[in-house]
Order: sequence, then structure tokens, then C-alpha cells
Amino acid sequence: MTQVPHELDVRPILRAGGEPFAAIMDAVKGLGPEQPLRLLATFEPTPLYHVLAKRGFGHAAREIGDGDWEVLFTPNAKASVTPTDQPPARNAAAASTGNWPAPSRELDNRDLDPPEPMVRTLAAVEELQPGGVLCSLLCREPVFLFPELAKRGHQWSGAFEPDGTTYKLLVRKASQREPAA
Amino acid sequence: MIGASLSRWTMSYFSVALLSLLGAEALMVSGFGFPSRPITAPQTLVLVHLTVIGWLSLLMSGALIQFVPVLVAKPLAHPDLPAVALALLLIGLAGLIAGFLDIPGISSTSMPWLPFGAMVLSAGFVLNLWNLGRTLWSARPMGLPARFVVAGLVSLAGVVALGIVFSLTLARWTTSEVLTTLTAHGVALHAALGLGGWLGFTAMGVSYRLLAMFMLAPEEKRWTSRIALGAGTASIVVLLVGGPACLLFGLKLDHVLVVALLMASICVVLYGHDVVRLYRTRKRRHMELNTRMAAVALGGLGIAALLLLALAALGDVARYIGAVVFLVAFGWLSGLGLAKLYKIVAFLTWLQCYGPLIGKRATPRVQDLADEPRAMPWFWLYFASVGAASVAAFLDTPLVFRIAALGMLVATAGICAELVRIRTLKSVPTPMLPEGVQARPRLILPSLER
Repeated sequence: MTQVPHELDVRPILRAGGEPFAAIMDAVKGLGPEQPLRLLATFEPTPLYHVLAKRGFGHAAREIGDGDWEVLFTPNAKASVTPTDQPPARNAAAASTGNWPAPSRELDNRDLDPPEPMVRTLAAVEELQPGGVLCSLLCREPVFLFPELAKRGHQWSGAFEPDGTTYKLLVRKASQREPAA
Repeated sequence: MIGASLSRWTMSYFSVALLSLLGAEALMVSGFGFPSRPITAPQTLVLVHLTVIGWLSLLMSGALIQFVPVLVAKPLAHPDLPAVALALLLIGLAGLIAGFLDIPGISSTSMPWLPFGAMVLSAGFVLNLWNLGRTLWSARPMGLPARFVVAGLVSLAGVVALGIVFSLTLARWTTSEVLTTLTAHGVALHAALGLGGWLGFTAMGVSYRLLAMFMLAPEEKRWTSRIALGAGTASIVVLLVGGPACLLFGLKLDHVLVVALLMASICVVLYGHDVVRLYRTRKRRHMELNTRMAAVALGGLGIAALLLLALAALGDVARYIGAVVFLVAFGWLSGLGLAKLYKIVAFLTWLQCYGPLIGKRATPRVQDLADEPRAMPWFWLYFASVGAASVAAFLDTPLVFRIAALGMLVATAGICAELVRIRTLKSVPTPMLPEGVQARPRLILPSLER
């Protein structure tokens, strides 16, 4: 039985410069069994797709004018949707990089002390063309960088290389301008 | 959020912790408690608990609610639970202190402060244990530093449990023979688990990662670290299981304490070896104030460990244990804590004020928020005063100890003033100041708009 989707409009939060992630996760938590979530945002929330995919949600997105997007998150039939406040896995926002272009820029930040790798990576991402990809080599998992990338709407994928000492991070710049300055 | 965000309540924990440290030092200056009084005197118990709960445990808890998510790359399970825990910890500590002060007159008030304080305090610790435990559990398999933290948290659970037993017995809420025996002879277990297991072992785990991070030293998986973890954990298990078991079967605790001390010594030696290696293999040749001062604090640990072993060999531990514990608490743990606070407060303030601006405009470096030449003399005064106070405690000269404690108090106040300068961006040139609501981060309370 198809249920009426719960609608969440995070555009006011984004326009006020806020961070809608908590509101979205609260809404997901409050969904009934098999109830979809209709999300309205000022940009295509691509990092969220992977977060919610881990929780068993598929998505259908469409642009609704003025750069705004409507995304319908629907619980997958097979997935058991048990929303909890359990955080997603560490690379949950990491996209499949199959359709990404080759990195247009590579940075070796392994010999810099924190937070310089984060500063250089973010600065370089800002200089990318929308949709462009950069590769950043780091000496540890950049845990403080991920929330900042998510806030800015960028996608990333990262893992330690087989040598166990180099963390290779790919960041794809959001295709839209960042919605809330 | 994926990764680790800023913990909203860490700065509140740090602020209350520093106030407790200043309070404890002021008490020492006034001659309250050890060494002017015996180590078992109620005044000493007040001083000890204000130091290890009010200062060190709140410092460690505040650091862990920020640091555990960084260690395991997962957000804290319940981001706002630490606020409730902090309130409970403060009320509980106040109750505990009221309870200790009540002992001399055998409770003239009707309020059973001691068990009340112990139970509220335990509730606060349990909330943080639950929160950190869930966060760590969600990130299995864990790396080495996180395993140290887990062992430290287990030790904390033991300390809390023993504390409750003591308070119930002392308040005569129970007359159980088992619990009375535990109270009469278990104080050494309580102290060793608290200072060594919870505070010491956790500090070791955290410093493995922090030192490597801030000095750019390679974090290799070394057998020495694994054995340090094993020996330290074994020491905790011996105290936690062997100690009470020994007492319950009517055996003397000495053997358990000696075995635990030997295990802990192996742990400290290997940890020291690893830390020296981290310093030697660092890629960052210039050492910042925090890493230099951390080295001095680690020297304090080395001296304390050697003294304890020497005293154990001479069979003279009881006479000098107060002085050794003082050196561990103020030379090593507090010194390391103050040194790391100086860096962590700057880092968190920088991230809070400038994180959203990176790449969009010029931002200062983290070290631009701190003014090391200004802060350095306070740190040297602190360590020199701790050294003098330790010697005074060994020689049992309370007046010299009080003068040295005054040096510690002045130095700590100076370091606190430097932390406030960092937090209020006083060293940042005006053109570099952030604009808008985040220009003045709150000193103590979290930024609720985050």
C-alpha cells in the first residue's frame, strides 16, 4: 500500500544559512513503515542520497524551478527500514565514482600538519569547475573535513591505500553553486 | 553528520574543569588537606575528589566527547547527553564534598550527602559511559588508541562502583560484611583504578593519537604499543577482579597491588618508548608549545613511576604515596592536560570560527590564534612549582608546599587567561576576524545556533 509521503521543506533553513541535516534525519526517524519522504531543497542534495541509501531508501529527484529541487525518498521494498539515530557508515556519503570525470587536480597533503590538509583541500575544491573532481592524498582520515564537504553539497569518496598509510580522497564539486553562503 | 563535528559541550566541560583546578590549588595554598593534613583526612578527600573528578575527570570527559568521534570517525551517539551528564556530575561532586565535610561531626544534618553525591555522580558518569560506549561500539573493529580508551572507561566503571559501595557503607545504609570489608581495605583499588586506569590509561591512548597528529609522526602498528595495551589492560583487570576477590576471600591486597604495579610498569615503559619514538620520528621539526610541555609532563610520569617502583622495593610506599600521587596528578596528568588544552582550545575555536570560511576568504592558521611567547612563562612556572611542591611533599614541609602551590595557582590562572585570549580571538589581526554571529564564540556555553 502506498502511503502519503511526509513532506519536509528545508529551503527556509538553507536560505537562513542553516544546516538541515538534523531536521532531515529527524523526519526520517519519524516516518511510518514504508512511508516516503518528499524533500524540498535549494540544491540537489546528492550527499544525502548515499546516506539514505544506507538506510534503505531509493530516490527520485527533479528540478522544480529557481534552482530548487524536489526529491522523493522511497523505502526500498526489500530493505528493512529501521531508522535509528545510528550514524551512517564512515564512507556513507562516498559516492560511487564510476561516472565521475578524472581528477583535474591532485594534491599531496601528507606532510602537512592539521588542519592544513583540510584548508588546502577545501580551497582547491572551491576553485574547481562545478562537477569537477580533485584528488587529495592525506596521512589520515579527514574526519573534520567530511561535515564541511557535506554542508557545501560536495560528494566525496575516500579510503586508505593498500599501504595503510596514505588516505586517498576524491572530491567532486557540487554541480550547483552552494545554496547558502 | 558523517565524520566528526564539533562537540557542543566540550568547552563547558573544560571551563568547569579549569575552575575546579583553580579551586583545588587555592585549597592547597590555604593549607587545606594534604600535606598539612594526613592523606586520609576528610579535607584531603575533598581536595583529592575536587582534583580528580572536578578537574581531571571533567577534562578527560570533555576531551573524550570531542575526541572519541575523531578516533572512530563516527558522530557521538547522543550529542546533547553530555550536558545532562555535566549537570549530574557537578551536583554529585558538590554532594560528595558536602558528605566528606560532614564526616568529622558524624553527620549533623539529616541529608545523607555522601551516598546522595556518589549516586548522582555515578549517574553522570554512567550517561557519558553509555554515550561513549555506544559510539565506540558502532565503530568496531577499533584502532589502538580507541582500545586504550575502552579499557580506561571500564576502569572508570569500576571506580564508580567502588565509590558507591564506600558511600553506602560510610553512611551506614548497609552493614553487609562483604561491602564493609571492601570499604575498609579497597581504597587503594579505588585510587589505582581511578588515577591509573581511568585517567592514566585513557590519557595514554589519547596522547598516542594527539602527539602523532600534532607532530606529524607516523602511526605505525608496533608490537610495543600492543604489549603496552595488553599489560595496562591486564593491570586494570587484576585490580578490578583480583582486588575485590582477594578481599572477599580474606587475603591481603598487597600481592594484587604488586602484580598490578608490575604490569602497569611494563605498560609505562613501553608507552614511554613509543612516545620517545613519536618525538624522534616526527616530520615536523619545530615543536609547538603543547608538544614541548607534553614532553615535560611525560618526564613527570617517568619520575613518578621510578619513585613508586623504588618505594615498593624498599617497602616504604605508605609513607610517601601522597607525594607520588601528587606528582602523577599534577606533574603528569594536569601538566599534559594543560599543554593539550592549549592546542585543542585553539583548534576547536579555529574550526568553529573559520571552518565555514575556508576556501572562500583568507583565514588565519590555528597557531595564529595562540600567542606562545606569552603563554610559555606560565607553563614553566607551573612545572617548576609542581616540582617544588612534589619535593616539599616528599620532605613533608607543608609551608614550602603551600608556597609552591601558590606558584601553581598563579601559573594556572595565567594559562586560563591565555585560553580566554584564544577563545576570544585576541591574537588574530582585525582583518582576519570572522564576521557575523560567529565572531565571538561563547566561552563556556555551546553555540546553540549550530
